[in-house]
Amino acid sequence: MRRLVSARNLVFLLILVGFTVFAMHITAPGRSNLTPIESMLKDTLAPLQKGILHLGTSARGWIVFPFKMAFYSRENKQLKEEVDKLKGQVRQIKEYELENERLRKLLDYENDNKLQGAAVVASIIARDPGNWFGTFTVSRGLADSVKVDCTVTSPAGLVGRVIAVSNHTAEVLLVTDPRSGVGCILQGSRTPGILEGVASGSGTLNLIHLPVAQDIKKGEVVITSGVGSIFPKDIPVGEVESFYKESSGLFKTAVIKPYVDFNRLEEVIILTGKVQFPEKLPAEGDNP
Amino acid sequence: MRVFTVLIILLITMLIQSTVLGFIRVGGVQPDLVLLIVILNAFLRGSKEGAFLGFLAGLCQDVLSGNYIGFNALAKMGSGYLVGLAESKLFKDNIFVLFGVTFLASVLCQIIYYLLLIILGVMVTPFWALLRIILPVAFYNTLLVPIFFKLFYRSRIRGLFSEKEM
Repeated sequence: MRRLVSARNLVFLLILVGFTVFAMHITAPGRSNLTPIESMLKDTLAPLQKGILHLGTSARGWIVFPFKMAFYSRENKQLKEEVDKLKGQVRQIKEYELENERLRKLLDYENDNKLQGAAVVASIIARDPGNWFGTFTVSRGLADSVKVDCTVTSPAGLVGRVIAVSNHTAEVLLVTDPRSGVGCILQGSRTPGILEGVASGSGTLNLIHLPVAQDIKKGEVVITSGVGSIFPKDIPVGEVESFYKESSGLFKTAVIKPYVDFNRLEEVIILTGKVQFPEKLPAEGDNP
Repeated sequence: MRVFTVLIILLITMLIQSTVLGFIRVGGVQPDLVLLIVILNAFLRGSKEGAFLGFLAGLCQDVLSGNYIGFNALAKMGSGYLVGLAESKLFKDNIFVLFGVTFLASVLCQIIYYLLLIILGVMVTPFWALLRIILPVAFYNTLLVPIFFKLFYRSRIRGLFSEKEM
């Protein structure tokens, strides 16, 4: 029976493994910036990746087009009906907005969760090559004033946040990543909870630490709470699919189906503006 | 010459892996082509070279994806090394042997990932990890073996992986 490794190789291996584990700890997401080598490589390969992905996307479009034709006509009719319905709702919402504005003025209430500043649209140029993490590389970086911790959204809802930036690319940590945590509330009952990713492949999210006495309804909407986190308030995230008691018995966990289809996402919106949090506490005596 | 060929194949694979491979996700998982190349190479060339190429490929992937540097490198090095140990013991011309080797090596690589995640303090429920990631990915990788098998079989005699110096 031959030995698996000689002593000399074992020492070498241990040093290598130790060094690599050390490197992993240093390069964990949340570090302030990428190493120059990484930055350079990412910036160099970005156009190439963008090209490949673009070719792939259009090729896929052409291949599935004939199959989708029949389906499209039916879908088109449904969509038209839905658009009419939504248009009505938008008018209604516009009305509410104006009313809200008037009432705010009456109350002299500071609107503190408007985003002060700009947003940039970025296209996704690469995805995490593995299955464990949910990260995208997008085509905007320091040159477009994207910084670490900028919130990333799409018209459908919350996508994630920026964790690393090079000059022309940024790495986005999706909410489905197990390393992601977002402060959220249930829109109906205003119950706070923490939104965690399970594993990026699964495409579902968990809203943990909900009070056990809280009545949770299926289909209830989850939005960001803006409390103690880098995410602005009121960004829609998803809907409650199911819920169960946590093993501790003190809390409930709700399984959330996100609004964003992360596998089909092509463009995202990065909020580069400064997020303003309310800085003054309400004075005593003016409790509602 | 052979080294260059393998490196170029790896680079192309890596670009595909990070871009268009996402289109063929099934149930949220995608195969790991880079791991497949590492496994095949190790099965042909033995453990030393298998481990070396695994480490190199993984390191390139880490640097490219901007994640933990060393995460893929360690996992792929381990798989490359262990597959390489089987190089002299198993019959190479049978596709079923290759199926088995790929499946086991993929599971092993994912388990190393999982252990590294624990070291890094990222919590994924073991049940989820096994059912939604480890086994599906291993199956998916195994399904892709026939595509590479012919190339692999031929290249042993002449072609991409042969020893011939230019």
